[in-house]
Amino acid sequence: MSRKAKDLIPPGLTYIADNIISKHNILGESKASGARWAKDLNLPKRAETIFFAGCGYQYTSGLESLSSLIRRMDKSVIGAELPMGIAGFQKKLGIDFAGMYRKVLARDKGSDAQPLRDAVRVLKDLGVKFGYLADEEPCCGALLHYIGLQKEFARNAQEVYGKLKSLGVKRIIGIVPSCTYTLRNLIPNCVDGYDLEVKHFSEVVLENMGSRELQFPREVKVTYHDSCQLARYLGLIEEPRQILRAIKGIELVETDWTKGEWATCCGGGGGFEAVFPELSQILAVNRARELVETGAEIIVTHCPGCIMQLKDGLKELKNGNVEVLDLAQIVAMAMEV
Amino acid sequence: MSIFTDYKKEIMDAAHNERIRIALSRAIKSYRSNTNSALKKFPHTIKMAEEVREIKEKAIGEMEKLAQQACEAIEENKGKAYIAKTADEALKIITDLVGTGKLIVKGKSMTGEEIGLREHLEEQGNQVYETDLGEFIIQKMNSRPMHITSPAIHVPKEDVARLFSRITGEDIPPDIGVLVATARKLLREKYFQADIGMSGANVVAADTGTLFLIENEGNIRLATGAPPVHIALVGMEKLVPTFGDACKVAEVTWRYANYTVPSYVSLVSGPSKTGDIEKVTTYGAHGPREFHVIFMDDGRTELAQQPILRQALYCLRCGACLYECPVFAVTAGYFGDKYFAGIGAVWAAAVSRDTERAAAVAYTCLTCGRCKIRCPVQIDTPEMIVEIRRLIAEGAGSPSF
Repeated sequence: MSRKAKDLIPPGLTYIADNIISKHNILGESKASGARWAKDLNLPKRAETIFFAGCGYQYTSGLESLSSLIRRMDKSVIGAELPMGIAGFQKKLGIDFAGMYRKVLARDKGSDAQPLRDAVRVLKDLGVKFGYLADEEPCCGALLHYIGLQKEFARNAQEVYGKLKSLGVKRIIGIVPSCTYTLRNLIPNCVDGYDLEVKHFSEVVLENMGSRELQFPREVKVTYHDSCQLARYLGLIEEPRQILRAIKGIELVETDWTKGEWATCCGGGGGFEAVFPELSQILAVNRARELVETGAEIIVTHCPGCIMQLKDGLKELKNGNVEVLDLAQIVAMAMEV
Repeated sequence: MSIFTDYKKEIMDAAHNERIRIALSRAIKSYRSNTNSALKKFPHTIKMAEEVREIKEKAIGEMEKLAQQACEAIEENKGKAYIAKTADEALKIITDLVGTGKLIVKGKSMTGEEIGLREHLEEQGNQVYETDLGEFIIQKMNSRPMHITSPAIHVPKEDVARLFSRITGEDIPPDIGVLVATARKLLREKYFQADIGMSGANVVAADTGTLFLIENEGNIRLATGAPPVHIALVGMEKLVPTFGDACKVAEVTWRYANYTVPSYVSLVSGPSKTGDIEKVTTYGAHGPREFHVIFMDDGRTELAQQPILRQALYCLRCGACLYECPVFAVTAGYFGDKYFAGIGAVWAAAVSRDTERAAAVAYTCLTCGRCKIRCPVQIDTPEMIVEIRRLIAEGAGSPSF
């Protein structure tokens, strides 16, 4: 990065970039703490097909705490000085972020990463054979790409590919939309002879669902929020809807216009939430409002970023009646697994 | 980071401004419904938009040749045509033509806005009237446009009424009909007193030298028809090879700007003339005696060399993308520079050469990609934004970085 660039890239983003480069995840957490969610699921660490968990779901509590803290700061008097280095905030306010994550993760070990646990159960139940690399899972580095650090992204991409190949991986089941798009579409641009087959969780579920009976525990109105990366980048618009429509007890109610490729972004894209925390929240509220107007009791989506944003949006709207759940959670409930 | 801090404050003030949000949510709703019905009524538009993309792709690669060709055609039509390499050159050509102490009536032009044309003419001691209602409001408010096709999109009628009351010294009610009539009254006589009429162009046919001017108010017809001199400032990216190409570009532009058909499309190729007396061609019949067209480069041919960023030059300026941008929906044109939202970052970098502003705008884009879905010529703004960020991070690549 040139010196001039250092002045032009918002510091929130350079903080994330440093974490990816030095710690191989967006929060700078230790890899082992991230992989803890899968401890009791008995997934093999070596397999030709692997489940790629990504950063988003694994570090949800950490990200939530961080984002709520940044938002509070952004609205406060200190916020007028934004953007400055997040590390600078830590010093100025005497906050120990790393320690805070550790506490949050220790407290919240069970419910954190629930979508991942459910996704694994669903796939197993459908007879899909796969492993999980746990603390050896590399970070796809997507944010490096979106920040503009293409050289760093390309270097990371080659490392990711080399690592996956050396571990004998041939096929990947992705779940985080951004990681899936990166592994499927961006990394191949940086690697000669890329030969990994990448599918998204929703595609795998649909392929293996067959005529299986799916029954939601209760009658419920559900709306679906398309994540930008899943709908507009990966083109997976019908797949999640087909799954939802196959579940008895679920009535899918959708927004008039803002669905599928026209879905409104939740306001949490490409590091935006780190640069414009408060604006990002305003956009989350706007999107949550659009979805609530459908009359749904549950907002289903399929992206850790969208889940965080929409939950926060509902909280700001003081709407305690509508729940936000991941598609994996819904399917798991409908399979009773 | 001081510019970023200022910029962020501007953005957040806008985001907290309930009036902007209300004005925009109304505009977005009516835009979508109008466009949907316009596209339903004229379904061939979608296919035509694909054709237009191809026309633009090709034309952008040969802008200099097309500009040359258009100049020759205009000269043949007895107009005068100029190629300005830079904004300063364009301003100098116009200043030399206009001089000082003139009354000028102006149609809305983003290209004029880009180079500060109105302010420049005023500094030279001319009196300039913006005649597009939105632009007139913006001029009188001493503000800047917040949308390409609806510059005063963020100003509610109550504010317009207050403004017009101040100008006229009368008590003007916030009734849209009355407001429109007031603007008409204020501007009417100016068209006929003016020494010069100025305009931009939506698209230009290089083979015939014809400017296409799309509008609904009728102000452009008057401003370019009544005064004795018409001067047009046109960005070189507006050139397409043939008259037929230009017709397609024009139709797609207005359709995606939410019109089935606009009230007026003026085609101007030369000065007004008559041969009715003894077949002797005489210039300056009822329309302008002089017709001047300035084709401005100002970074455009360099931008055309950039494999990803050149897409910005395909833009028809229909304004459709802005209605789909979630950030624009709460900030209006504060998210942008001379041009707005994500694509505005490219223009800030390549044309205004304002790297800091370009960076600030580039990092305000969500890269959510809904603008691309709406764009008639499929401009991939997220891809351009990532490219701009790369250029910023690497500190090289374009003359402005």
